[in-house]
Amino acid sequence: MLRWRIGRDPLWTEFDRLQTSMNDLFNALTSGGPKPFFDPLWREARLFPLLNVREIDHTYVITAEIPGMKTEDLEIKVVGDTLTLKGERKPIDIGEGAAYHRRERATGTFHRSMTLPSRVDPDTVKATYKDGVLSITLEREKAAVPKQITVSTE
Amino acid sequence: MAEELQVTQKHELATGSGELTREGPYFSPAVDIYGNETELVLLADMPGVTSDQVEIDLREDVLTVLGKMKVDDNGEELLSEYRTGSYFRSFRVTDMIDQSKITATMSDGVLKLVMPKVEKAVPRKIPITTD
Repeated sequence: MLRWRIGRDPLWTEFDRLQTSMNDLFNALTSGGPKPFFDPLWREARLFPLLNVREIDHTYVITAEIPGMKTEDLEIKVVGDTLTLKGERKPIDIGEGAAYHRRERATGTFHRSMTLPSRVDPDTVKATYKDGVLSITLEREKAAVPKQITVSTE
Repeated sequence: MAEELQVTQKHELATGSGELTREGPYFSPAVDIYGNETELVLLADMPGVTSDQVEIDLREDVLTVLGKMKVDDNGEELLSEYRTGSYFRSFRVTDMIDQSKITATMSDGVLKLVMPKVEKAVPRKIPITTD
């Protein structure tokens, strides 16, 4: 099991930018034909599900696209500043005598942990699953919310 | 024990291709197609798309699926591993399918199209009755 910190290593961003410009150059030279699709370099290091994190008013909103899941196959845990997602996207029953002509939708198990930038209040964690998107909201712990201190002069 | 799910990047459609003149990124949804003797079923992953934002068009044997999505950009972005956008993909429907009987449902971000096959000209036995 791997843990990932929020924030991307600037080195990877630089590599990615370099790769994109090399691709553009290559395309310009070989002009014509559809533009090929290139994966970012860090792809191998990534775990399912891919996560997006936003912060809205001291609340973290973490979203993941996991279409076609059953909520009972999903397990979410928060300990301290670590969020753990576990689950399984099960294959569907296509019925007897049926055969696949094309199969692109992946199935299988997943297990991923993420360290949040600060501690969260475990009592406020909420998770919803709508239209195939899992969204988890976590409020920052009161102690972790920066306090503005005004300096008074005598 | 099931296999571990691997990360798959969304396949973005090249800009300026085909009928796409709308703004924002478009992705090609992952699909499963399976079937038996009587029907074909198509499943397409379009997470974030509600049923009223799906447009299905069938003309000249080409079935087009369009799933529009509103991008949420409230607050500050801390991490962005996947991109969001609309979905678009088209399929050629053979004359084996009864085009008037195609049905579509959307649940948990998965579009399901059920396409019944044309009833074969089954040789019917005509009973001969005697007076």
